[in-house]
Amino acid sequence: MRSEVVMPQMGESVTEGTVTAWLKEIGDFVERDEPLFEITTDKVDAEVPSPLAGVLVERLAKVGDTVEINTVVAVLDTEAKAGEVSAASHEAASAPAKAASASSGAVSASSGGSATALASPAPTTTSAASSNGVPSREELRRTRSTPLVRRIAQEHGIADLSPIEGSGMSGRVTKADIMAFIESGAHQGTNGSTGPIASQPAQQTRQAPAAPPITLGDRDRYEPLGPQRAAIAEHMTRSRATSAHAHTIHEIDFSAVFKARKRMKAEFEERGVKLTYTAFMVKAVADALRAFPVVNASLDGDQLVYRGDINVGVAVALEASLIVPVVRNVDELSLLGVARSINDLAERARKKRLKPDEVRGGTFTLSNHGIFGAEFGVPIINQPQTAIISTGAIKKRVVVDQKTDAIMVRPTAIFCMSFDHRTIDGATADAFLAHIRTTLEGWE
Amino acid sequence: MSQYDVVVIGSGPGGYVAAIHAAQSGLKTAIVEREPTERLGGTCLLRGCIPTKAMLHTADMLETLKKGDEIGVMASDVALDMAKMHAYKAKVVKKNAGGVSYLMKKNKIDVHLGHGRLAGKGKVSVEAADGKTQTLSTKNVILATGSTCFHLPFIDMSPARVLDSDGILELEEVPEHLVVIGAGAVGTEFASVFLRYGSKVTLIEMAPRVLPSEDHEVCAEAEKSFKKQGMTVLTSSKVTDVKADDKGVKLVVETKKGDKTSSQTIEASHLLVAAGRAPRTQDIGAKGTKIKINDRGVVEVDEFLRTGEPGVYAIGDIVNTAWLAHVASKEGILAVDHIAGKNPRPINHRLVPMCTYCSPEVASVGLSEEAAKEAGYDVKTGVFPFSAIGKAAILNKTEGFVKIVADKKYDELLGLHIIGPKATELITEGTLAMELESTIEELLMTIHPHPTLAEAVAEAAHAAMGHAIHI
Repeated sequence: MRSEVVMPQMGESVTEGTVTAWLKEIGDFVERDEPLFEITTDKVDAEVPSPLAGVLVERLAKVGDTVEINTVVAVLDTEAKAGEVSAASHEAASAPAKAASASSGAVSASSGGSATALASPAPTTTSAASSNGVPSREELRRTRSTPLVRRIAQEHGIADLSPIEGSGMSGRVTKADIMAFIESGAHQGTNGSTGPIASQPAQQTRQAPAAPPITLGDRDRYEPLGPQRAAIAEHMTRSRATSAHAHTIHEIDFSAVFKARKRMKAEFEERGVKLTYTAFMVKAVADALRAFPVVNASLDGDQLVYRGDINVGVAVALEASLIVPVVRNVDELSLLGVARSINDLAERARKKRLKPDEVRGGTFTLSNHGIFGAEFGVPIINQPQTAIISTGAIKKRVVVDQKTDAIMVRPTAIFCMSFDHRTIDGATADAFLAHIRTTLEGWE
Repeated sequence: MSQYDVVVIGSGPGGYVAAIHAAQSGLKTAIVEREPTERLGGTCLLRGCIPTKAMLHTADMLETLKKGDEIGVMASDVALDMAKMHAYKAKVVKKNAGGVSYLMKKNKIDVHLGHGRLAGKGKVSVEAADGKTQTLSTKNVILATGSTCFHLPFIDMSPARVLDSDGILELEEVPEHLVVIGAGAVGTEFASVFLRYGSKVTLIEMAPRVLPSEDHEVCAEAEKSFKKQGMTVLTSSKVTDVKADDKGVKLVVETKKGDKTSSQTIEASHLLVAAGRAPRTQDIGAKGTKIKINDRGVVEVDEFLRTGEPGVYAIGDIVNTAWLAHVASKEGILAVDHIAGKNPRPINHRLVPMCTYCSPEVASVGLSEEAAKEAGYDVKTGVFPFSAIGKAAILNKTEGFVKIVADKKYDELLGLHIIGPKATELITEGTLAMELESTIEELLMTIHPHPTLAEAVAEAAHAAMGHAIHI
């Protein structure tokens, strides 16, 4: 019996995924819940387990194909034996699956339709281009505009004309159409933002200046940005254009944490948890966030949203990118709970086993620049949060005791906090960091 | 009694085009024409565009040959033969009118000769010349009854030497001195014809400028040229009295200069009254219908040419749009498309090309510089003279210029104004560019062939951007 495997919906905000590796060949037998293929989304890399046991008879998406959720990407035969694959299946396996839509996937998932039909789904209006290179309806619409309209669009920073109903010949967008569109204010939400306008404090975004042209040398080469890298690029640029970034830097003595860690390390290890300095920092940050709700907030238009939960994202460097898994409700966890969560999330992040929901919902972010010995880093706020802290390496440094003027050697780390000056003043930011410093320096 | 989908009353360029388009759209169509010559084509073909342009062509040829020795063509004894000119004109008219009749047959359109009137809901009566009347039954009617010469109330048109634009077409001799009242398209065209036929011409215009609806610079250039050619041009002038007999006409003309008004009496052999045209809506059977006709005789219509009476449309010179053959044709097509349920786009009347076939020719589309400023645009212009165009020098016609009116903000092309050789042909470039909502950039980026007169358009675009090449 033939069963289809679809691109899973990895969290409610994820709409598509890119197949990065097939873990089984055509004809291979795969157990239920055994990893079948790997995907990457703008949120997470993950292995997709097989929903059933059976022989992989068709692969409808190639490595590198980005398909919408619920698109059929593989067909299993639950009654075949390993190695039993028809010739027709092989042909279908090479057919592109890019243009499949969520709706067609939903239908096919329940219909059990033929593999041939699934392999060549009808193009949809949401795809950027059909697989044979013919422009999609949207692309045609986009080009159905007049030179004057394109100038006006350029001036107003309207990158996409497709939302505008064209009244000209063959649906061409005319000057009257775009002027009416601009006057309606509708263009404010068309420049690359994907979420609802109200949730995007980035509405005052200014256009990024055009990069100067690149002259290619003989030994230069192009490599496209991967989905995660592209997402990071977009998020960081947007954040810079959104928040009024200001910074404050504090040096924190880790002597107390040093002692506490030394004291508790063995006990934690007995319970299967590696106690890292990060756990202390996250715990201290959570306490400070509870004391300073304005730092655990987001700006929505002209309103400040005070977050009820304290969810601290911890940046984890991957081979070629970065991911920020979230420790939820940190303020409700003990140090042991915090350490266990961080261990679990970081390990699964590196193994691409994070679930998309585990990288969502952060209210504050902690980033560690100290891995390679950096003194400190100046981070960019993770939108729509309102502040972020980065730490440098914990190093032995010469410290002057402010009371006795005694010179001593202490393990310290330099914390840099980037905060959105639209909502947080310097005094608040400094008090917040001072709270963290007090917690860490007084750890018992 | 035949049941028609569309009956068109009037076979001018609005009516016959509407009828053909209706038939091509699968609608059973009839056309009604009351012309006593039983020729189709209306004013345009019989008494307007076609015969006058034939006369203009003769004038152009005459002028060219008279100047032949300047370019090595030694044509001695060049003279106008009015009889032959009329024969040539009649041949052209016959050919074109015959062409319309052929198109009616080809498209299986029933032609009913006689005076057509609305005769109740879904009915059109046709009264033939012999008084016999038949009634046509139809779902829709398109009124395309056109216009007639407008006569000034204080001028008696009965003397033989007082003419309107219909009468002057039949003039067998070249007037010794022709006075033309009205310096619009009709007046300037006939003035240009007879000036070159050998008449002394006096052109009188009430407005301060000749061709008053054109761009100021174009008006000034036209007046300069007319005067240079030997025409007497009186602007800001009003004819207050006309006396005529079999020998000639005597006019009293008051001319205003600043605050001063002077009066003069002009004696001439012939007078042409070219003060405009009047819609022909007096006897179309509108009484008792919901059709609204204003006090100027114009039928009120909406953007799809619908009158107030369901199923009755009006197009051409009886509605309040530019009274031009090409506008009437376009309106005919729009009305039919609406009848056929094709959901057509209304006509953009801002993009109607205006053509005057005087010498030099004048053509324009869009806003003049003054109108653009009045409309609130931050205006920039680009002007390029034909004197700097190689092809114009070759043709020995270097008068005039091309002027582009554009909006500074987006370089939007707002208007194109041409005075000079083949202006009426060249204007289409601007009409198309504006229809496509081009900016100046597209116009100057378009490669123009060399040597042509069209290069002047590209150069004007360069000039508007501040970098004309050939001047």
